Amino acid sequence: MAATKKLMSVRRDWRERDVRVVLAALIIAVATVATIALFASQLQRTLVSSASSFLAADRQLEAENGRPVPEPWINEATERGLETGRMVEFSTMVFGSDAFQLVSVKAVSNEYPLRGELEIQGSSEGSRVQVENGPAPGEVWINPRLLRLLDIQLGDTLEVGSRMLTVAGLVLREPDGGFSLSALAPRVMMHVDDVASTGVLQEGSRVKYVYLFAGEEASLERYYQWLQPQLEPSHEWEGVRDGETFSRSLDRAESFLLLGGSLAVLLAAVAVAVASRQYALSQRDTVALLKTLGLGSSGIGRLYLKRLALWGVTGMVGGLLVALPLFWVLTRLLSEALERPVPFQLDSAALTPALLTAVVSLFAFAYPPIRRLRNVPAMRVLRSQPGETGREALPDMLIAIVAVFGLVWLYAGEVSLVISLLGGLALLLGALGVLGWLLVATLRKVRGGGHAWRLALVGLYRHRRASLSQIAVFAMTLMLATTLILVRTSLLDDWQGQLPDDAPNHFLINIAPDAVDEVADYWEERGQPLDQLYPMVRGRFTELNGQPVKQVVSKDQRVGALNRELNLTWMPSLPADNVIVAGSWFEEGQTDGVSVEADLANALGLVLGDELTFTIGSDKVTANVTSIRTVQWDSMKPNFYMAFPPGGALTNMPATWITSFHLPKDRKSELNEFSRRFPTVSLLEIDNIIERIQEIVRQVTQAIEAILVLILAAALVVMAAVVSATLQDRQREGALLRTLGGRQSLLVRSTMLEFALLGGFAGILGVAAAEAAVWALQFRMFEGAFSWHWQVVLPIPIISAVVLSMFGRWQLRPVLSVSPMLLLRRLE
Amino acid sequence: MQTTNPDGQRLMLRVENLTHRVSLETDTLTILKAVSLEINRGESVAIVGRSGSGKTTLLGLLAGLDTPTEGTVELDGAIISRLSEDERAQLRAHRVGFVFQSFQLLPALTALENVMLPLELAGMNAPEKRARELLERVGLGERLTHTPRQLSGGEQQRVAIARAFASDPAILFADEPTGNLDNRTGQEISDLLMALNQEQGTTLVMVTHDEQLAARCSRQFHIEAGELTEPVAQVELAH
Ligand SMILES: Nc1ncnc2c1ncn2[C@@H]1O[C@H](COP(=O)(O)OP(=O)(O)O)[C@@H](O)[C@H]1O
Ligand SMILES: [Mg+2]
Repeated sequence: MAATKKLMSVRRDWRERDVRVVLAALIIAVATVATIALFASQLQRTLVSSASSFLAADRQLEAENGRPVPEPWINEATERGLETGRMVEFSTMVFGSDAFQLVSVKAVSNEYPLRGELEIQGSSEGSRVQVENGPAPGEVWINPRLLRLLDIQLGDTLEVGSRMLTVAGLVLREPDGGFSLSALAPRVMMHVDDVASTGVLQEGSRVKYVYLFAGEEASLERYYQWLQPQLEPSHEWEGVRDGETFSRSLDRAESFLLLGGSLAVLLAAVAVAVASRQYALSQRDTVALLKTLGLGSSGIGRLYLKRLALWGVTGMVGGLLVALPLFWVLTRLLSEALERPVPFQLDSAALTPALLTAVVSLFAFAYPPIRRLRNVPAMRVLRSQPGETGREALPDMLIAIVAVFGLVWLYAGEVSLVISLLGGLALLLGALGVLGWLLVATLRKVRGGGHAWRLALVGLYRHRRASLSQIAVFAMTLMLATTLILVRTSLLDDWQGQLPDDAPNHFLINIAPDAVDEVADYWEERGQPLDQLYPMVRGRFTELNGQPVKQVVSKDQRVGALNRELNLTWMPSLPADNVIVAGSWFEEGQTDGVSVEADLANALGLVLGDELTFTIGSDKVTANVTSIRTVQWDSMKPNFYMAFPPGGALTNMPATWITSFHLPKDRKSELNEFSRRFPTVSLLEIDNIIERIQEIVRQVTQAIEAILVLILAAALVVMAAVVSATLQDRQREGALLRTLGGRQSLLVRSTMLEFALLGGFAGILGVAAAEAAVWALQFRMFEGAFSWHWQVVLPIPIISAVVLSMFGRWQLRPVLSVSPMLLLRRLE
Repeated sequence: MQTTNPDGQRLMLRVENLTHRVSLETDTLTILKAVSLEINRGESVAIVGRSGSGKTTLLGLLAGLDTPTEGTVELDGAIISRLSEDERAQLRAHRVGFVFQSFQLLPALTALENVMLPLELAGMNAPEKRARELLERVGLGERLTHTPRQLSGGEQQRVAIARAFASDPAILFADEPTGNLDNRTGQEISDLLMALNQEQGTTLVMVTHDEQLAARCSRQFHIEAGELTEPVAQVELAH
């Protein structure tokens, strides 16, 4: 079957323009979707594991009641195949050669950390090393600042209670340090078995026992179900979800990536649809001949089905060949950003949507027109038959719309995304209908003449069906591309705005009320003014409208805020980055009421007027919800779930003060002096974390940019598909015009004008539809306020008009350079 | 489907009362009116008439490429309108050959592959050998690997003729086979067509403007505005 085989070979196919477009579109779609899906799942995994490493485990059980949990609980976990570890945390004074310092001790068992990395420096000249376990018995590792504060060296001894322990290393990074404001004084890390011998812990000491668990997600869940009924209020079970800080930012990146993927799918679908219709039209002569030579219509059907399958396989293989190296690069970037190895791990489930995209695109968009080839009459070999009217394509449209819905939904899992995009598209098609009607109504009266303008309008009218469908496809493409560009712009602006270079990178905690002014002056004098200072009272939310809160909202166990002590505050005015979403902020002089953070209010079902009771030490305070506000958690400033008015219910409660400020890297050494001057103020250094977040944002931005390029490539493919569809017709017309004596310059000008009009119309429609889609998206996915994007809205129609008219000029090239006779012959 | 002819019928083609109409936007156009004719095995017949008189339409109906509005066409013992489309395709694959005014070669295939195509579609053995023989017979033994674009009009028509005879058809339909060629080349093509037809003993039905070519056929049908004027015997015409 050499000849038949050759007729159907992909290599031969590749030489045909329309097939190239279909294959290119498929490859781009598969590549984009695969890259995005792989990267998103990688991001997800990495995030969960870095969130896990904030706990140094997959789950933590904290006992804040100063007593260890019953031994059987831990044995049960071990029996269930979970890894376990334990830590004891407390504050105490330690003594160096002749200085002392309040430190925050973390005594860890051999297993620590179960997740994440611990980095230390073992000698004064040594480099950072990653270690698998904490210090050995008899040794301590300390925060480098303690060397100066206590005036000691590595190798010296440190007196902890009644024990002398050797300083064997400096803690540079601990997996579970950092984000928690309860990490108070500088760190001293020791072995848990040494704790008893120090004699520091007495009955009634403030101490926290922490148990670490790691293992299979399902086993952890089942263990928690077993454990939960036995937990007391002072026990807190913490999972990765609570460790979120920058996972919020990355959520948005993920949404964006998914949106990008959906757009790639849509663009590819349009390209495949246009090109395969074109291809089907071009195949009619071949089909007629094959029928004449004796191939039946079922044979024709099989032949083209085989070919579609070949395209599908080529698209999948090609797409994956593009996606894998790209994904590898992104993985490298991510690993650089996180400063730790991220395994190049192919999640085969993530590949399914990509491969499905190829199959659905082919069968929903390419198959219908190609299937109709079976109906081409054999008589066509003798006389050209009337072509398709376009009416046959109507059912195709329906299939296509359903398929697009399905794909985007499958892919993004976001109904609102599908609705926004399709809403934009529907709007666009509606506008197009009106435009079409106007075109027919107004241009009908224009008569051709020697004038380029008039010729261009006549041209538009004469090709009105082709013109409208071209405008439709261009507008659709522009809409999708513009949507993406707009969303990218607002996403990136938001991100960069969220962590400016002078974002606070240090917290001061535990400032005694009478030291507040002194601390503020200290930094003011050194040209480093503090952000606002907030009082902080630790309390537990215990009753809602007089009922124990754990009964009322027992269903949602994931509200971590219920399990632990909350930081309560009072503040005179609403912080600039908070937004009231219900109720109103406290009036001047108002002393009753409390303002609740919106996510928490949502999770607990709190509404305005609810009566909240907090237990603070042995006291209880009660207040009614007067406002609900959103909070910028990732602002690196102190944020509070509960805010009271000054002079309100909290006033007489024991408070310490907290603030954050920005200290440039080169002035880090000044912290030692500060700590000596204010030994009881805790300093939380988050500059490393901020740098990491900024780095991640930069790298993810690069990833997004790379994907954007892929998607714009898809848009170009669509454009090429559409324009090449009418190439021959236009060239033939141009040739005829010249044969009949039309001047070249007239032909050039009118064609360029015609295309400029096409491009302009398409640009205006596309941008308008994009704005509509972004408007809808902004509400649902990115929670931002909508604003017009003039800097994008204005240039796009102009660029599209210019580019298209250049393209029209370029298309005419063969018509102008060759004798009309030759051209007509060639186009025969 | 019937591809053989066990009782050795004399008739190759019988047409009765063939009428063909197409509906246009406003009214219907009758292209052929009650055409009846019979063509014997081994005969060569020319259909002549002015442009637009309905020759091509008639040829398409005779060959089973289209189905008539009324009337029957019996080709090689099979009544075409009673066959399904796939059965008609089978019939064409095994019993019918075509030559067209515009050659109709597939541009992607070489000369050899173009000739092999119908052989493969009919599921015949050793298609390449047969195709080579035929191409050598039409004088293109040296051009086997050339694609249609690399061949002149006359050469393309030779390939088309080789293709038409490839599957050893019982009947050959030709629609103005020399219409796109200059006089000399047309002459050569006519010679080749008639010669091969003679050699293979094929029934030939040919639409042509070329009076000389028509004159070389054993009979001529004249068609005028869709109606057949009586077939004229070759002998009478010579007087
Ligand atoms: N499908 C059709 N629709 C409309 N008119 C047709 C159709 N097929 C043929 N005709 C018309 O029928 C007439 C005969 O056509 P044709 O058989 O091609 O003539 P010939 O081959 O003798 O030149 C012509 O006027 C042609 O325009
Ligand atoms: Mg004709």
